[in-house]
Amino acid sequence: MKSIKNFFCSIGRFFKDFGVAVVKGDIWVKLSLLIMGAGYFGRKQYVKGVLMTALQAVIIAFTVLFGLPYIGKFDTLGDVQRESVYDPALRKNVVNDYDHSFKILLFGLISIIVIIVAVVIWIRNVVSVRKLQVLAENGKHINTFREDVREFRNGKFHITLLSLPVSGIVCFTIVPLLVIILVAFTSYNKTHMPPAELFTWVGFDNFEKMFSSSLTTTFNYSFGKVLSWTLIWAVAATATTYIGGILLSMFLNNSKTKLPKMWRTFFVIAIAVPQFVSLLLVRNFFADMGIVNTICNNLGITDFLKEIGWVRSSLDHIPFLTDPTWAKFTIIIINIWVGVPYLMLIATGVLMNIPTDLTEAARIDGANGFQIFRKITMPYMLFVTGPYLVTQFVGNINNFNVIYLLTNDVYITLDQKLANSTATEVDLLVTWLFKLTQNDYNYNMASVIGIMVFIICAVFTLVAFNFMIKGDREEDFQ
Amino acid sequence: MSRRVMKRIVNPIIRHAVLLFLSVVWLVPIVWLVCTSFSDYPGINIRTFLPEGWTFKNYTLLFSDPDSVANFPKWFMNTFIIAIFTCLISSSFVLMVSYATSCMRFKMRKPLMNIAIILNLFPGFLTMIAIYFILKELNLTNSHLGLILVYAGSSGLGYLVAKGFFDTIPSSLRESARIEGASEDQIFLKIVIPMSKPIIVYTVINSFLAPWMDFVMAKLVLNSGLSKDWTVAIGLYNMLGKTLINSYFARFCAGGVLVSIPISVLFIIMQKFYVEGITGGAVKG
Repeated sequence: MKSIKNFFCSIGRFFKDFGVAVVKGDIWVKLSLLIMGAGYFGRKQYVKGVLMTALQAVIIAFTVLFGLPYIGKFDTLGDVQRESVYDPALRKNVVNDYDHSFKILLFGLISIIVIIVAVVIWIRNVVSVRKLQVLAENGKHINTFREDVREFRNGKFHITLLSLPVSGIVCFTIVPLLVIILVAFTSYNKTHMPPAELFTWVGFDNFEKMFSSSLTTTFNYSFGKVLSWTLIWAVAATATTYIGGILLSMFLNNSKTKLPKMWRTFFVIAIAVPQFVSLLLVRNFFADMGIVNTICNNLGITDFLKEIGWVRSSLDHIPFLTDPTWAKFTIIIINIWVGVPYLMLIATGVLMNIPTDLTEAARIDGANGFQIFRKITMPYMLFVTGPYLVTQFVGNINNFNVIYLLTNDVYITLDQKLANSTATEVDLLVTWLFKLTQNDYNYNMASVIGIMVFIICAVFTLVAFNFMIKGDREEDFQ
Repeated sequence: MSRRVMKRIVNPIIRHAVLLFLSVVWLVPIVWLVCTSFSDYPGINIRTFLPEGWTFKNYTLLFSDPDSVANFPKWFMNTFIIAIFTCLISSSFVLMVSYATSCMRFKMRKPLMNIAIILNLFPGFLTMIAIYFILKELNLTNSHLGLILVYAGSSGLGYLVAKGFFDTIPSSLRESARIEGASEDQIFLKIVIPMSKPIIVYTVINSFLAPWMDFVMAKLVLNSGLSKDWTVAIGLYNMLGKTLINSYFARFCAGGVLVSIPISVLFIIMQKFYVEGITGGAVKG
């Protein structure tokens, strides 16, 4: 709450400064409302003045020549369909001056961002010119250009450090995110693909399509199924690897275990192999005609499973990755194989840091191994790895690699309703999203799913962190 | 008496037997990978675990006979070049952001960090599609430059581990340097950076490994279908397509072994920083 209040206060202060500057400013300040460099010329900061004016010119040129045409069409996303007409004079097909909806969306958005940033710069510029005026009136020293530049290596060094990374984040995370959020409100899909076709705003239609049932679309059915499997998967994957990792690390770090380093290395080797190699390999390992099935057949396991009814008697193999139930089971088992070594490494690090006096004191008081584990080791682990556990859960909701590499091209759904919306029983929301864009060019529905994933992750994270802060027991362990 | 002897002898045996069993479970696929890479049968051997005949052919074929399907030397070079540039850009981004948020105090510090937390909650795949379109507009799809930009562009968001490290450097050190008259950039470059070797090693290895491990983004950006453009990950994935798997599986394994060796070495060097990073960051919140 406090941070929100602070946020609005600082916005208020920002505009108040601007108002004060405009009202109390002298002629140079007022001139710099029009020409951004004017105020600096008035204080003999010529280089800065030229730079600011040049920046203003560039922004105006960009807005007029590039931005405005796109912004003008932003409300409809274009209305001129692409047409190619045979021109007898030129003896070839001529394409008309058509509108490209996606370009309008993208460049319109970028232009709007540029204009907002420009307004902020303009306001700050007036405020800083006013500051110069105050300095001059009080007879204080005004920085030369060289001193201003030097300031970027000293007092304003954080700006130097942050400007490149932040602009990278703006270009490659924020702008794409905004674009994709906007796409969720358009009709951008297979039948509306630019440049041949136009797409336009459709409001909340896509969300409605996702959550209401109709005869033609099965998104609502698939969403329910995929979401429930995503949540089951995230809980199962997080819990199994967490518990497994802690048990394994306690086992390895026990003083009775000989050569703990050697054993640990064995497990690390398994995860050091890149996932696309190891998972693709394991997928063939467990394939219907794979080596595991051959071994199970030879040992009679397949027949045994048939007898107790876990494998349909018409099959001559165990459908590790091709039957809905079996595939889910196998994926979770394989994920234990992938995830436990990571948790083992982390748990090892944490266990080494447990203050030995705590466990020592408990032992003297007569606690046995299990009691120490339950009352000291486990709470300590949970406290230290709590935030990691939350990120791990969110990471598992978005665990693309494991599901995609294990099931893509291999798992084929028999459920027609799922197949209609390009989903399968073993898809997570993110793999479904990916398949929708790659196989079906269904960008608007994919964006809706993306937004839903974000909402789920955000709500979960907020609730979890609030819970952890409430149960803050930092002092217990210090 | 005999019971205690039993306990002393049998318990360790059981303990190590369990460990041995677990290690075998974890290493079986890796052993299978290595063995199959020496198999003289090019497809998947489904009859026996170990290959029926042994040969080096798969490795020599990878290098001596690049064809339209398997162009391993080229993939390796592509990935290597992409990894080098990604590593340079994103390591410096990460170090810059983490130093600024950890050691410097300015008005926008907290708001920026909060925005970073929110941004990290969006699934990476969501932005991927939009990035693809933006690259397409800029004519950067199917180019390695585009892929480098994608990998390195928003790397600043992964600053938390390095920030956790910089937080542990006592501020008195910087304070005294400031009193001696050092400017902020000198403090960063001449004092803090030389002290931060572990975290630099971690950041560099981490960002160097990303292009080797990534598969989805590369597949999306380099989609021309020309195998000379690919990275190792897409190339190897492609070998396992339905029509190719029966003649290329052994070569896939050989390629997998070759990529895994350098990656494993780097990973094993990095793992101890990995642990420190995660637990250290957690304690400080």
